[in-house]
Amino acid sequence: MTATEVEQEELGTTKSVYLMTFKPRLLDWQATGVFALKNLRIAIRYPANFLIWGILPLLWYAPYILMMIAIAGPGTSQHFTELSGFQDFVTFSIIAVFVYQYVDKSVWSVGNNFRWEQFSGTLEPLFVTPVPRISILVGAAFSDTLQCTFSACVLLVISSALFGVTYAITMVAPIVIMLTMMVFALYGFSFLIAGLILVFKDPSVLTELISNITYVLSPITYPLQALPSAARFAAILVPSTIAIVTIRELAITGLFAPASFIQASVLMLGLIIGFWTVGILAFRWGENWTKERGSMGGF
Amino acid sequence: MAYDESESFRRMWTRKGIRSEIRAAWAISINIWKVELSYPLSVLWFVVMPFLWFIPMLITGSAVAGGSQSVVLNDLAGTLDWVTYIAIGTSIIGLTISLMWGTGFSLRREQNSGTLETLMTTPMGKPTLVWGSMLHNLQHGGLGVILQLAAATMFFGVTLNVWGILPALGIIALTIIGLQGLAFAITCIVLLAKQGWMIVEFITSGLLLVAPMAYPIAVLPPILQYVSQASPLTWSTEAFRGFLMNGLAYQGVVQAVIALVILDIIFFAFGALMFKYTERFVRRKGALEQF
Repeated sequence: MTATEVEQEELGTTKSVYLMTFKPRLLDWQATGVFALKNLRIAIRYPANFLIWGILPLLWYAPYILMMIAIAGPGTSQHFTELSGFQDFVTFSIIAVFVYQYVDKSVWSVGNNFRWEQFSGTLEPLFVTPVPRISILVGAAFSDTLQCTFSACVLLVISSALFGVTYAITMVAPIVIMLTMMVFALYGFSFLIAGLILVFKDPSVLTELISNITYVLSPITYPLQALPSAARFAAILVPSTIAIVTIRELAITGLFAPASFIQASVLMLGLIIGFWTVGILAFRWGENWTKERGSMGGF
Repeated sequence: MAYDESESFRRMWTRKGIRSEIRAAWAISINIWKVELSYPLSVLWFVVMPFLWFIPMLITGSAVAGGSQSVVLNDLAGTLDWVTYIAIGTSIIGLTISLMWGTGFSLRREQNSGTLETLMTTPMGKPTLVWGSMLHNLQHGGLGVILQLAAATMFFGVTLNVWGILPALGIIALTIIGLQGLAFAITCIVLLAKQGWMIVEFITSGLLLVAPMAYPIAVLPPILQYVSQASPLTWSTEAFRGFLMNGLAYQGVVQAVIALVILDIIFFAFGALMFKYTERFVRRKGALEQF
């Protein structure tokens, strides 16, 4: 701190250099880092949560697998093989459940991030800081991606052991690339949800609705071909669909087809650009709408 | 006139009997409806919820069955019609979740609204608070069951045996007693742990996993089959579906009713006792309004 700043502080009129030279930016990476670290610090205070979120989804998805076994017998059915091109529906479903964890996290955690801040009483102070709101959301998203990766890996390991399924470990690199692209597309998706939640407030119902609709559209326990044609087009717009289809192909067959991978990557890039644009615009609209009505801190 | 000598005050303190408790429970139930209906999105969710839960199961089943009949299910559960089997079985999911979460968290909801202590000082019985919430969730979840079954009949070719409707309602009545015992136990967890949602999630998801809603318990690992038999939800799902599929010709009725009555007595007695002592303990500690 300079002598002038000390003097000003004593007079109670400190002027921050940051504030004096502040120019609005689209993203403030320093703020993103600070926010991600803050969220991670809070998460680490509850280490059991990492394990619980690796086990709990199993209780939600196991009924689907058990139902498939009850209808078609253990492991496979002729119709399923004809429809999906895969033999074993258990192997088919578990890898998709792993990928879908990121979608769930983006809807429930990042999308609801400002709602949790509101419950903690820190939303309004956060909104008066000279930091782009998107930086805060990206920070929360980074922290949630790290937590989700740990829990999803726990889930994958436990599920694979319980149901006796294996995947091609040699395909880790392209899977990570596709997963990273999906996560970036999901960030845009979660900005959109964050904007909607700022407007509608009641997060439980809206989040449940979005979460259930994305679940129905995602080809987790069934192939994309099982959906009606109109729903199939809508499914392509859910960022996880392309990722689930590509990652499943890689993990189960262990074969890397460059042409289809590049095609999937280009589609995913389109989704990233589309979702970030729509997400940021929707969030800004939600923020302005809420501010104009003075309902930012309202429940 | 001093307040404590007023007519309404005297009437309030001399009230007693089951009728006044029912009136209080009814008032609580209506109050929750009013709160829920003031959120338009909640109404929308209430209407689409049964479909959003059932549709992924239907698509998943279609993807592996390739038609409306399953020979494997016939060997396991004695019916070829998997769509009807799953539609009726899963229609109870909403009611169960509504009873477990809605009723189990009723006191927490009042606490969050700042009205728990006020309600606790009224002269109604403390369990009436939970019963009132149960009454609401029974209506809420019950309407969901009707909605899902009606949609399944109209859109997915599900057939219900009309002679089985009344006995199926009787089974629901028996189910509620056992589930109310569980709801009392969940209320205790919430009263003690405050943010006990994770424990409640494990209990509810675990119960739904071992219940034969979308599959017979024969597909569960042996240890889970034992757990399943000790759950009232297992017997009620089997009997509810049995009546709605086979009408009065349902053969497992005696076994299901006896099992349900025994489990109801155990679960309800355990839950009610737990609630009685936990509520007293929390009040003695002065922790009723603690978050």
